[in-house]
Amino acid sequence: MAMSPNTPQNIRWVAICVAIVGGMLAIALNAAPLYDAFCKVTGFGGTTQTATKAPGVVLDQTIEIRFDVNVPPGTPLEFKTGQTSETLKIGETGLAHFTVRNLSDRPVKAIASYNVTPHTTGLYFQKLQCFCFEDMVFQPGQTLDLPVIYFIDPDIVKNRDTRDVHTITLSYTYYQQADG
Amino acid sequence: MATNQTAHADEHAHGDHRPSPYNPLRWLFSTNHKDIGTMYLIFAIIAGVIGGAMSGLIRWELAEPGVQIFWGMADAGNLGTDKLFSVQMPDGSHKAIFGNEHGYNVMVTMHGLIMIFFMVMPAMIGGFGNWFVPLMIGAPDMAFPRMNNISFWLLPVAFALATISMLVPGGSMGQGFGGGWTLYAPLSTSQQLHGGPSMDLLILSLHIAGISSILGAINFIVTIFNMRAPGMTLHRMPLFVWSILVTVWLLLLSLPVLAGAITMLLTDRNFGTNFFNAAGGGDPVMYQHLFWFFGHPEVYILILPGFGIVSQIVSTFSKKPVFGYLGMAYAMVSIGVIGFIVWAHHMYTVGMGLELEAYFVAATMIIAVPTGIKIFSWIATMWGGSIDLKVPMLWAIGFIFLFTLGGVTGVVLANSGIDTVLHDTYYVVAHFHYVLSMGAVFAIFAGFYYWLPKMSGLKYSGLLGGLHFWIFFVGVNIIFFPQHFLGLQGMPRRYADYPDGFAYWNYVSSIGYAITAVGALVFFYMLLDMFVLRRRKLETAENASPWGEGATTLEWTLSSPPPFHQFNELPVVAEEKHH
Ligand code: HEM
Ligand SMILES: [Cu+2]
Repeated sequence: MAMSPNTPQNIRWVAICVAIVGGMLAIALNAAPLYDAFCKVTGFGGTTQTATKAPGVVLDQTIEIRFDVNVPPGTPLEFKTGQTSETLKIGETGLAHFTVRNLSDRPVKAIASYNVTPHTTGLYFQKLQCFCFEDMVFQPGQTLDLPVIYFIDPDIVKNRDTRDVHTITLSYTYYQQADG
Repeated sequence: MATNQTAHADEHAHGDHRPSPYNPLRWLFSTNHKDIGTMYLIFAIIAGVIGGAMSGLIRWELAEPGVQIFWGMADAGNLGTDKLFSVQMPDGSHKAIFGNEHGYNVMVTMHGLIMIFFMVMPAMIGGFGNWFVPLMIGAPDMAFPRMNNISFWLLPVAFALATISMLVPGGSMGQGFGGGWTLYAPLSTSQQLHGGPSMDLLILSLHIAGISSILGAINFIVTIFNMRAPGMTLHRMPLFVWSILVTVWLLLLSLPVLAGAITMLLTDRNFGTNFFNAAGGGDPVMYQHLFWFFGHPEVYILILPGFGIVSQIVSTFSKKPVFGYLGMAYAMVSIGVIGFIVWAHHMYTVGMGLELEAYFVAATMIIAVPTGIKIFSWIATMWGGSIDLKVPMLWAIGFIFLFTLGGVTGVVLANSGIDTVLHDTYYVVAHFHYVLSMGAVFAIFAGFYYWLPKMSGLKYSGLLGGLHFWIFFVGVNIIFFPQHFLGLQGMPRRYADYPDGFAYWNYVSSIGYAITAVGALVFFYMLLDMFVLRRRKLETAENASPWGEGATTLEWTLSSPPPFHQFNELPVVAEEKHH
């Protein structure tokens, strides 16, 4: 070996490389919050939006909303929707009903997750009230009625990706949580 | 440097003092870039044989409809006696050695991972990179010789973990992880499907292989930036060195993202986090984004050193400098840069917006431009040259031809509308095997036949090398060309069985495998002939350079094999002598 490896120039490049590796690793490990923020802002992946008031503008054009509910195999919950579809004007407020019944003789803790398809409409599916991403405990045999109040943002007709969409499917899944 | 002058004086005597190859400590504690390169090459050959045998089982299974080898599901009774790979248990029943259809998926998964992480990468970067980057830039060794040793020895550890992963319980379906080399969640996180230790071991294995590559990458970066001989400016470096430089930057930037993603898989599996678990508010599609942010640069990591090797060879055997040297170097740089912003072309079917899709289509197609520059420059280098069709040149021309074919199907797949139909079909399998198992592998063989006399000081039989090439060329084309048809007909990948309609081309493809396997036997016979049976030394006249005037890079100025410690007097590179 002709040269000692620990010259200042060598150490400098090693430091740069280590910093790059550390930085990329840090970004990757923080992908979850970054990605969540990104999805909320852009509606990416069918992430629906939450609103505090109805839009005020109602278009003449109607849109059909379909409802899908499901639970993973083996979940002791019966999950039903009160309507398979609903047609309403864009901008008009809609109300959908869902019922959940605990089929077992033990309390069941569960959490609902949802999205809409086509995914691109996520940005325009506005919920005023919903049950989602909150743990719920269902007592043995209990049946709960869960409403969702929502509207479709009139801006949907302005976006190239979504203006030709006439049907949106809202899909809910109830997942049992480990400790319940 | 000044302080080393005295050390030099007595080192000269040791310059050619080569320890015995039969001393295991020479290899275990080696800090010599050439010895470490040799170990990487041998490791890659072993992994290639194992990965190749696994693909043999895959093609055997797919040779005809129905289950041939992976019949474990039919195990209920005792019908295993006349089945392939049947083993008798102590209680008299018969079991399938390779398990059921899950076993098939494990085979496919591990074939892919072994070929990528334990064959192509060690051969190109660890093997040729270690051997020839220091020689080509006129450096005495790598910048951190001991770290180099660690980089290598981490690999067998990673490989051992991957092997154990195949043998321990994977989940409800049997041993091993069968979710594909992409390790997509939720298949890889589901306790029901892959609850066993298998996936955890695989994650550990990839972590260790990744650390090995990152250490290697740092070593190459420092070596190339700080240890070039006087006069060897960046713009005079041989294109192979450029290709390794770009490759190791890609490794440095992309591997930590893979490490992060699989760490999250690990915590999702074992510590109750919900990064990719929809039930807990996570998103499995996020895993795909992270994986492919690593994955697409990774496919260029696999091919860029091949570009470098082929550039050296085409120039040597056309007896001309490479056409458009700077363009070639910066084409690689731009491929590397653009490679980071096209990842979602692997994910068109997850349902992104039209605009995002249009962006990824356009960005992906743009990569074809620097790639095309390279292909045209190789052709322009050959144009009007006095071409010598020696064995390395055959492989290099074969590479150009087959890689271009794979590039063309890549551009087809880049169109999201077409890809929605072809995604996860055999068309994709055909595409990436044209660029990988033909592109990358042909480049490796080209480099091997090019530098083998330099590394060993021995001659090989050109006849056997040529025979190997032609059998391989015919064989791999018969394996993979029909897979385009199967994909267009809609045959999906990653299934052990298929409807009768796909039988014909699958049978042809399996025959292609048999032909290729014969080619591999010729390769090993060539090695046997070279190192054991005839052991012909290079004649003194051609000892430094058996390839004549076309071979102009620095490694051809040294003896074959090069002295154990070279360039104690640093060479000075003059203006006209570079690349
Ligand atoms: C002109 C250049 C290229 C283009 C436009 C291109 C495009 C694509 C596209 C669009 C896919 C996704 C297909 C799908 O899954 O539906 C794909 C897959 C793939 N490509 Fe390429 N590609 C190119 C070059 C390469 C190179 C050079 C390599 C490696 C040496 C490579 C390796 C792969 C692999 C391994 C996959 C499959 C990944 C998997 O799903 O398992 N590609 N390519
Ligand atoms: Cu890609």
